[in-house]
Amino acid sequence: MHQRIQIRPPRIWTVVLLLGLGLLIFALAAFAPPAQAAPSYQDDKPNNDFCLACHQEEGIDLKVGSESLPVTINPTEFGFSVHNEEGIACVDCHTNISEYPHPDVKVKNVRDFTLTFLDTCKDCHEEQYTKAHDSVHQAAFDAGNKNAAVCMDCHNPHTQTRLTGQTSGELTPAARLDIPQKCAKCHSAIYDTYKASVHGNALTEEDNTDVPTCTNCHGVHNIQDPTAVSFRNSTPFLCANCHTDASIMDKYGISTNVVNSYVADFHGTTVKLFEEEFPGQPTNKPVCTDCHGVHDISDVNNEQTGLALKENLLKKCQRCHPDATTNFSAAWMSHYEPSPEHYPIVYYVTLFYKFFIPTVIGSMVLFILTDIYRRIINNRVKGTKHS
Amino acid sequence: MNKINQTYLRFPVARRIEHWVMMLSFVTLGLTGIPQKFATSNISIAVIHALGGIEVLRTIHHTAAIVMMLGSVWHLLVMGYSVFVLRDKMSMLPTLQDAKDGMQALLYNIGFAKTYPQMGRYTFEEKMEYWAFVWGTVVMIITGFLMWNPITATHYLPGEFVPAAKAAHGGEAVLAVLAILIWHMYGVHIKRLNKAMFTGMQTEQEMLHEHPLELADIKAGLTDRRPDAKTLRKRQMIYYPIAAILTVTMLGGIYSFINAEQTALTTITPLTETEIFSPQTPTPSP
Repeated sequence: MHQRIQIRPPRIWTVVLLLGLGLLIFALAAFAPPAQAAPSYQDDKPNNDFCLACHQEEGIDLKVGSESLPVTINPTEFGFSVHNEEGIACVDCHTNISEYPHPDVKVKNVRDFTLTFLDTCKDCHEEQYTKAHDSVHQAAFDAGNKNAAVCMDCHNPHTQTRLTGQTSGELTPAARLDIPQKCAKCHSAIYDTYKASVHGNALTEEDNTDVPTCTNCHGVHNIQDPTAVSFRNSTPFLCANCHTDASIMDKYGISTNVVNSYVADFHGTTVKLFEEEFPGQPTNKPVCTDCHGVHDISDVNNEQTGLALKENLLKKCQRCHPDATTNFSAAWMSHYEPSPEHYPIVYYVTLFYKFFIPTVIGSMVLFILTDIYRRIINNRVKGTKHS
Repeated sequence: MNKINQTYLRFPVARRIEHWVMMLSFVTLGLTGIPQKFATSNISIAVIHALGGIEVLRTIHHTAAIVMMLGSVWHLLVMGYSVFVLRDKMSMLPTLQDAKDGMQALLYNIGFAKTYPQMGRYTFEEKMEYWAFVWGTVVMIITGFLMWNPITATHYLPGEFVPAAKAAHGGEAVLAVLAILIWHMYGVHIKRLNKAMFTGMQTEQEMLHEHPLELADIKAGLTDRRPDAKTLRKRQMIYYPIAAILTVTMLGGIYSFINAEQTALTTITPLTETEIFSPQTPTPSP
């Protein structure tokens, strides 16, 4: 009895507290801005667990025409995906599904099934979607190539993890390393070449994120035609992005003067002027890739393929100068600044004119100044005589 | 009074045409060359744009170079005629007297000599400019050849000579343009507007001031001594075949200068790239 009396007051307090809390929640709910729509789906539509209950089963296939599409979703992989992280529901994309059995698939093949989701990504990723519509992939798609990459070909919506740092917005190192794998799905031959190159090897073998991944040169989403003249003309400035950056180059002992020395040369001067004046007009002067290669760029000191070997360089020269012989390749100063060690004749000729021009012109100016002085004096003398 | 108004022929019309041709080609070469040397400056880019782009600019530069080379050939032939057939006094040759004149002029200007030097048909200033032009043209032709025909050049020379030629060509160009802008402009346009290359004539007053020794020679009848008809004919018969051979040789030289080689293919061969679309098999599922 006595004990019961002791318990009673807390009960009252609990009721009051609960009431207060309830009121507070009600007030918050009433005056807070309306919540995002996404979670509310889960109230009236099946939630992800509901879907996964079936779809996590191994080996379930969807018959699409004569083809079959595996529709198993690995819950662990999906769990790590950015879509799951952001609380996106299956039915946010699969909008036509709300119950079982699902509506019939009307398309004839797997590719067409994928393409029925073409505009889905736009709902949340409009910027990327719009950019992708200005790409070489979209151009190929519009020209009738159904295999041309669309969003889902690079970003599997069920497994795509977060690609950019949440605060930095920059591509994460892991994403940089993964990108070539994505491109390789369609461009495997290029990937194989890239993998053997100085850049690709460092990225795939050493997980080096200093080297360019596909998107560093080709861009993301609005990937342009790499065979376009404007792309070719801008190549030197593309390579310059990294190759003039001492914070990257110093680690590898690579000169950051490569672009300046290129632009100082006949070839580079021309290309630079084309790039500025007529970016779309072709020139027969070489850009970086014409000598160094594209996906197969090798270390210049490579014992087989390096351009430091005269024979290798000459072969590059001969692509445009078929009659070139042994001495010819040294006409290109190999990105060196002329110095007493490298290209001494050029260095001393330049040095000669550096002194010769001021000496000659300076003497001329001095002589002219004395002449002007004399004329002024003579005129004054004449003037005083006359007056 | 009459004597003061007397004028003297300084440059016959052929020499004036020669000068104008050389002047126009020089200006063209400078205008199209200097922007190539300083290709990254905005002024250069504007000039290159105005003239229709770098390839057009280079074509203009090459054309002007051919004109200047032809002008040089013409000049050599005329000089040959003057020296061998007419046996004119070689008044343009530099002498020790020119050095002395130059020194005296300088000393006079700064007040250490009482008189300005008395000079003949060509003053030390004119000779300096003439020989600078000769020297410059030789350097430009040689270095220009190396750049115009780098493959032919590197058959015989180390590759390094090509960028060295480019450095010398550019340095010499700056020197030449500045020398013309400063020395020539001052000497014949600013100091006193010398109309001899327009009218061909100099007044007695001008002659007295600038070429007193030549004036004295003219007055003494020493300058217009032509060989008699027979000697002239004889020398011409010798000179003309030699001149013809020289002309053919020099024109042949210019022709091969222009056509020695096809330096580069006009269209670049695309890189042999691997297959662009090469899907991995089997295509990974969604």
